[in-house]
Amino acid sequence: MAESASPQGPAFESPVVRSYPASRAGDLTLSDESAVTKWLVRAGAEGPTADLLGAPFGTSLVAPGGALVLGSRPGEWIVVGTASDVAAAVAGLDGIEEQEFCSALDWTQGRALFRVTGTSAARMLEKVCGLDWSDHMTPDGAVVSASVALVTCDIARNDRDGVRSYLIFCDRSFGQYLFDALIDAGNEFGLSVAAASHSHSAA
Amino acid sequence: MTMSRQGVQPTEVIDRAAKLRFRWNGKRFSGFEGDTIASALAAAGEQIFSRSMKYHRPRGILTADYWDPNLMVQVGDDPNVRAGHRLLESGMDVRSQNAWPSLNRDIKAANSLLGRFLTAGFYYKTFMRPQWLWPTYERVLATFAPGGKIDLDTPHAYHDKRYTHPDVVVAGAGPAGIEAALAASSAGASVMLVSHEHSVGGHLRYSSAAADQAALAELRTALDASDVEVLTDSTVTGRYEDNWLGIVQRNHPIAVERLIKARAKTLVAAPGLIERPYVFEGNDRPGVITSGAARRLVNLWGVKPGERAVVFSANAEGDAAVADLERVGTEIAAVIDGRTGGSISSTRGSSRAVDAVVADGASIGADLLVVAAGWTAPTSLLNMAGDRPVYDPAAARFFPSDPPSNVLATGGLAGDAGLDGLRQHGAATGRLAAARAAAVRHRLQSRTARALPVDGDEPAWAPDERAPLGRDPHPELYRADTHGMVDMSEDISSKDLVAAAHEGYDSVELAKRYTTATMGPSQGKLETVNTVAAIAEARGETISQVGTTVWRPPYAPLTLGALAGRMFEPVRVSSIHPWHEANNVSIIQAGQWLRPDHYGDPAAEVRNVRENVGLIDVTPLGKLDLRGPDVPKLLSLLYVNKWMKLGVGRVRYGMMCAEDGVVLDDGVTGRLGEDHYMMSTTSSGAGGVWEWVENWLQTERPDWQVHVTPVTTAYASINVAGPKSRELMSGVCEGVDLDAEAFPYMTVREATVAGVAGCFMWRIGFTGELSFELHVPAGHGLHVWEALMEAGSDLGVGPFGLEGQRVMRLEKGHFIVGQDTDGLTLGPSTGLGSLIKLDKDDFAGKPELAWAADRSLPMVVAIQPDDPDVVPEEAAQIVRGDTNEILGRITSSRYSPTLNRSICLGQVEADLAAGGTKVTVLLESGERIGATVIDHHAHFDPAGERLRG
Repeated sequence: MAESASPQGPAFESPVVRSYPASRAGDLTLSDESAVTKWLVRAGAEGPTADLLGAPFGTSLVAPGGALVLGSRPGEWIVVGTASDVAAAVAGLDGIEEQEFCSALDWTQGRALFRVTGTSAARMLEKVCGLDWSDHMTPDGAVVSASVALVTCDIARNDRDGVRSYLIFCDRSFGQYLFDALIDAGNEFGLSVAAASHSHSAA
Repeated sequence: MTMSRQGVQPTEVIDRAAKLRFRWNGKRFSGFEGDTIASALAAAGEQIFSRSMKYHRPRGILTADYWDPNLMVQVGDDPNVRAGHRLLESGMDVRSQNAWPSLNRDIKAANSLLGRFLTAGFYYKTFMRPQWLWPTYERVLATFAPGGKIDLDTPHAYHDKRYTHPDVVVAGAGPAGIEAALAASSAGASVMLVSHEHSVGGHLRYSSAAADQAALAELRTALDASDVEVLTDSTVTGRYEDNWLGIVQRNHPIAVERLIKARAKTLVAAPGLIERPYVFEGNDRPGVITSGAARRLVNLWGVKPGERAVVFSANAEGDAAVADLERVGTEIAAVIDGRTGGSISSTRGSSRAVDAVVADGASIGADLLVVAAGWTAPTSLLNMAGDRPVYDPAAARFFPSDPPSNVLATGGLAGDAGLDGLRQHGAATGRLAAARAAAVRHRLQSRTARALPVDGDEPAWAPDERAPLGRDPHPELYRADTHGMVDMSEDISSKDLVAAAHEGYDSVELAKRYTTATMGPSQGKLETVNTVAAIAEARGETISQVGTTVWRPPYAPLTLGALAGRMFEPVRVSSIHPWHEANNVSIIQAGQWLRPDHYGDPAAEVRNVRENVGLIDVTPLGKLDLRGPDVPKLLSLLYVNKWMKLGVGRVRYGMMCAEDGVVLDDGVTGRLGEDHYMMSTTSSGAGGVWEWVENWLQTERPDWQVHVTPVTTAYASINVAGPKSRELMSGVCEGVDLDAEAFPYMTVREATVAGVAGCFMWRIGFTGELSFELHVPAGHGLHVWEALMEAGSDLGVGPFGLEGQRVMRLEKGHFIVGQDTDGLTLGPSTGLGSLIKLDKDDFAGKPELAWAADRSLPMVVAIQPDDPDVVPEEAAQIVRGDTNEILGRITSSRYSPTLNRSICLGQVEADLAAGGTKVTVLLESGERIGATVIDHHAHFDPAGERLRG
């Protein structure tokens, strides 16, 4: 069921290849988390898979093993984390296909992933995305699909230690462009580029 | 009119310790931080700031604010800057506009002598005939065009954009607006307060009354302590459906302008009132100013507007101006009270005199005439919300009628009261706005999956229980017994409007367009009501009967840069892109993709592939991961050929047609596992095919068990092509037998390549050579590419780009959907009619293709020009002999470095499609050349021996 296209061998190459200056004044950070393992699971919006993953459309939760499960669309989930955490989260899918049609594929290679963290993260996103980032409409744990700087993205609010934080997924080929667009949007708030917070688990 | 800087005023906004130097028409001037350009010039004694549009009449300060039509200047390379609003900066190079050779001696002022001929509609009437002279008219008239100069070499400034969703937006930051913002915020709403001015406070800013200043300080303190987001020097430029607001924020620290697109749950319109000029002969003479201008000059910038003033006052603002002027030493020669029938008839005077002629003909010597004749209610945002404000003759202004319930008016726009009354109304409006916003928010949250859950029913829509504001009586003062300027931006007089009405343009909308009144930079803020009044007078009707023009966005002009915002231009690159950039690549943009076109010599790249081995980055090729037991049914539905028996490890070419039988896309699909397939599409068709597939699955076959995932960039795709490709691959591959029999043409294998597991390889190729199309997990694409380059160094491996690939696919006769086909090309026209299996139960386009099967259709054919050195242009027409009867066109053409001759594909009528047919190609130069249709598409290796190698 849960097969992986992740290779073993050479180091993972991020879509972000440019280098950026060290940190600046503000508390806003942007990190490239593209190497994090990402799986896409699809099944019925309601059913055993939905029950297993437990994150309805528009929401997210941390699975028992530690992976983050995002209800990205009705009947579609993105599972993110270390390779072992993700494997644990999707392990339960084995056998579910006896009950319903379900598929899972490793999306690590195809999706860039960035994290924006800081008190002004929402203000920064307002410059590149037309959604309402208020706590009412996009609380911690919310998941949404939207255009970010004209690139279709999945976005999850995933606060870190009480500070606003957003995970932004996009097609890998847009990765460098979007990373630069986010830096441009964040300059006003003193954005700095930080090291990835997740360990690399795809290579 | 002799203006000068006075002693420190308690309300002034200038910092006299911060001196700023600037230039005005080349001469050195100075002002203070906090000055506008106009206030600094006025303080230095300047009287003339511009020349009028048509008559080049000298113009001075009128309103001393954003709306002043006479204060348009050029600052550096920035034209049409509002000197009444733009703050002075050190080093500014300010120049007057619309005057030559100088502001004080403008030759075009001779137009004034022609004034009686330059009436409304002059241009329409005069330059219509003879029609052939229009280009000349146009050139000459262009030299009279008003406005500043645009430098086309000016770099594009950084304009920003922001989206926001506040509960409440308050447009206008006078006392009522501030109270509304504070009350809404206290009620728990997120609030954005937008101030058109550089600081909040509205008219309190330039009031010298102690009570007003105390209130202003109190309001500012409360704002500072609140959560209200305050935008100064910003304007709500438009209100659109469902309170979608455009807000332009000027002079932001990081951008010259920022356009904010705000979705407000409720909008509070609190723009205050705009003082209306009075129409009389000479009302545009320098030295005639509004009472608000006088008060701003005195109280904000410490400028005495004149030495001796006549004040025409019909309201308290005029009375207050008298007090302010007296305080700074201006002698008040006379106060003419408009409330008791007094009036100004005209002005006379020289450059520094503005003698006021009153109704009885008496002339009062002065250098300043201050006019307080009434107010215009800027109802624009209400109009944009669908309201049709009504005129109240007793108050001499318009009032809101019935705006939608999520748009609330307060402040002077809604009525009159003392300061406390305005504040109370503002606060009540803010509370109401917050309550209604809460109901909207509840509704939005309950309908949005990601939103914070809400309990209970949606709150009831709060009733409007605000005590209405009163309406102070005001005389209807629009025009004296003489004619004067109504629209100073456009040089339109009341006489022009009366004439237009008499010519039949007596509808206010027609008269506006005929005369251009209200269409200048002031956007009607000063002119609209006077325009309506002039037309009403001409028609012998009331203002109510005439009605007003509809105020449309923008409320205040904004730049094209602000509308454009940040220039988002997404581009896509493959993971191999860094290597291309480091290796002399010439990039071509194909859609959003940046792709290698060539690396210096595309012909050499072709020869190398034909003789050795080459690599091309084909990552943009569309790739869809298909999973599920019903994939064969899906493929059979979408492709014209059969798919039910494709074996695991096999690859098949397919052509996809739309429901009208027109070719939609093509590509190969491979079966990777029992229920696992990979579909490839054209690069340009990747997105469209995905949507097409999903559309069928979601709307027509929702019961099928298929999951489709676009994985185009999950893989870096590399085509290894050339007779030495197998040898190259054998050096880097593990886990796959590359022998031709074990891994034959049109099969797919999974392999480890250069240590990277999870790669899969197709034995296919677009170039016509022995090829391995590698799909490598994208995070290792660069590594594999570099490994291939290294492993193939002794085989002569080299990169090739799109241009080389285009040449080779044309040599091989492979058509490209969208280039060799078009929006009318039916499936059989491609020459692949045998692929179309009409015996299948059903598939997309089957009825049309069945119909087409029996008909003569244009055909895609290979064409060989008779002269091997002539390469016809793509899109060159194929014609019948010496006529211009079109029989087809060249769709692709190149010079083949392999064959040393020109090669083409084209579309021709069916009767020309047989091999050996002679055709005539009409070149762009007009020359006609002979060419021959050949009996197969491939110019090179028609048997496909190299491909199958």
